[in-house]
Amino acid sequence: MSVVNYGTREITCKIVYYGPGRSGKTTNLQHVYSQLPEERKGKMVSLATETDRTLFFDFLPLDLGTISGFATRFQLYTVPGQVYYAATRKLVLQGVDGVVFVADSQSRQLAENIESLQDLHANLADEGLDPRTIPLVMQYNKRDLPAGEISAIDDLDETLNFRGVPHYPAAAISGKGVFETLRSISTLVLSRLSAPATKV
Amino acid sequence: MAKEKEQQAEEEGGEFAEFLADVSKEIAQRVESLDPQATPKAVEKKKTPIVAGTGVIVEWPNVADRMIEEMR
Repeated sequence: MSVVNYGTREITCKIVYYGPGRSGKTTNLQHVYSQLPEERKGKMVSLATETDRTLFFDFLPLDLGTISGFATRFQLYTVPGQVYYAATRKLVLQGVDGVVFVADSQSRQLAENIESLQDLHANLADEGLDPRTIPLVMQYNKRDLPAGEISAIDDLDETLNFRGVPHYPAAAISGKGVFETLRSISTLVLSRLSAPATKV
Repeated sequence: MAKEKEQQAEEEGGEFAEFLADVSKEIAQRVESLDPQATPKAVEKKKTPIVAGTGVIVEWPNVADRMIEEMR
């Protein structure tokens, strides 16, 4: 996806929230949506199953208006975390400009986090994108759970954040860390306006 | 334009407003540094100097320059 189009004076950024099932990706988008002023609220498309788990994906368009002469739009997507929705995850990743990896801080979910991260790398490579250079931010979610149930930030970072990208503790259910994460990935994506993602 | 956005963001308040202000600042920095290359100014067309009423071209070097320019 072209991030900046000087011909049509448009900036479009596609950001995908990736991570294992139940890690809080949809909750991130719901908090962003809840904070939008009424006049900016478009439609958040959320395709959920009866048990509230994301079936296909969530899509939240953010129309930021005209900035420096450019009509600016952010498109926030989530992927379904469950292993068996691999095809949907690949589809959602097409044309991605930046990724937020939402990890579940619960100690018992560590294997799922690793598996999802490996899945992300494989799918990015399939899309012709270099997992080592694409804008990426880690979010360690569910920090509001009892200390005995969650891994330490340093441990999560050592296991999951081999690139040393920015990482944020979060409790998306209460909104903590949600906008810090979004701001960080947005800055990373925008800093590459003149440098498209490396093709492998 | 970016300042207007920042002001608008302050008026709206809240987390989204801060986000909008940051994004506006970032975009303003980036696009201003890229824009001049992307939109080159149109080259002003030169007129071939002709002596009034005679139809004779008097400045051949200028005409040659223009021909070369138009052939590019």
